[in-house]
Amino acid sequence: MSERSGLTDRRGTADRRFRRSALAGAVLAAVLGGGAILAACGTGGQDGTAAADTAPAKLSVADSYIPLPPAGGMGAGYLTVRNDGGPDQLVKVSSPAAGSVTIHRSTASTMEQVSSLDVPAHGALQLARGGTHLMIMDWQKAPALGDELELDLTFAKSGTISVKVPVKELTYRPGQS
Amino acid sequence: MPRTTRTARTTRLAGAAALALAAALTLSACGSSGGGSTAAKVTQQKDDSPYQGTKLAKNFEKPDLQLTDTSGQPYDLRQQTNGKATLLFFGYTSCPDVCPTTMGDIGVAMKALSPEDRKKINVVFVSTDPQRDTPKVLRTWLDSMGTDFIGLTGDLSKVKTAARSLGIMIEDPVVNADGTVTSTHGAQVLAFLPSDDKAHVLYMSGTEEKTYEHDLPLLAKGVAA
Repeated sequence: MSERSGLTDRRGTADRRFRRSALAGAVLAAVLGGGAILAACGTGGQDGTAAADTAPAKLSVADSYIPLPPAGGMGAGYLTVRNDGGPDQLVKVSSPAAGSVTIHRSTASTMEQVSSLDVPAHGALQLARGGTHLMIMDWQKAPALGDELELDLTFAKSGTISVKVPVKELTYRPGQS
Repeated sequence: MPRTTRTARTTRLAGAAALALAAALTLSACGSSGGGSTAAKVTQQKDDSPYQGTKLAKNFEKPDLQLTDTSGQPYDLRQQTNGKATLLFFGYTSCPDVCPTTMGDIGVAMKALSPEDRKKINVVFVSTDPQRDTPKVLRTWLDSMGTDFIGLTGDLSKVKTAARSLGIMIEDPVVNADGTVTSTHGAQVLAFLPSDDKAHVLYMSGTEEKTYEHDLPLLAKGVAA
């Protein structure tokens, strides 16, 4: 489904079977050879230092806003997903307030839809103006300043996080009043 | 353009211009927001232009473009903006990110001007999706950024020719499977000086609002770049 390879998480059952045997192998390796090998296998969750890649993601969403869509039409959504844990992936966004929410990336001259975005371990995924953003259409009701609209962000590992996103002035930017 | 005897300056200017031109011409190759930050650096590495935008070494003529304005009347770009400072941007109204951000930032900077200065600058938005951007649609959309912004729509081939003459690439809009429209268009803003009606300053997409706020008073006064 996703053309960006990154994580192996969301593949078919064959893959899952592979992961399970890989897990078994890793556990064996852990018993026999200690923690150092684990990172390479990518499954050594419980083992202290080598755990970074497989630790559960710890996500929080900050600085979210929807600039008041001009003429009540096509809108954008911006936010930052902070991650204090292992890697995850944003795979879907929806909203009860809108018929369609898709993830897009603005390039220097156009936009392209992307199917997922990596949330790096101990890092952040930023959706910001002129870059990666949410494209929101088919509003149930034209957004107004001060509205708080729900966005449901679905992650590959962490499940769905719902946030209330304020509608700000068209020219609003976080960090400025 | 004033002549200069210092070759270092000339080289630097030429370099900046080459960079700007390269940025303008290789639009689709520049496939991430990384392009924006490179452009921001260009404007930071200042030559001695009073403008914070990128000074153009090649001063494009204002394109000979006749379209329809938002009141449905014919609009001749050269004739009707003759001798007036003009900001020109190509875009489309169903663009959620770059177009409203750019036009909104210009709107904020325009509102920061004195009423006299504000009257001296034309902000012109030319639609790259004329089929959907009717005069009425354009007007409603532009009113969110500036009620005196000029919106032009009409024959796309004319728009493409005009844009090409400025080093701005435009492709036919594509209707996606979900009914949305994607238009590929160079998202830079060009500033034409009132003195010669030629483009002197370039603002790449991702230019900060503060840059416009700094430059528009100069543009209104027709300060040379």
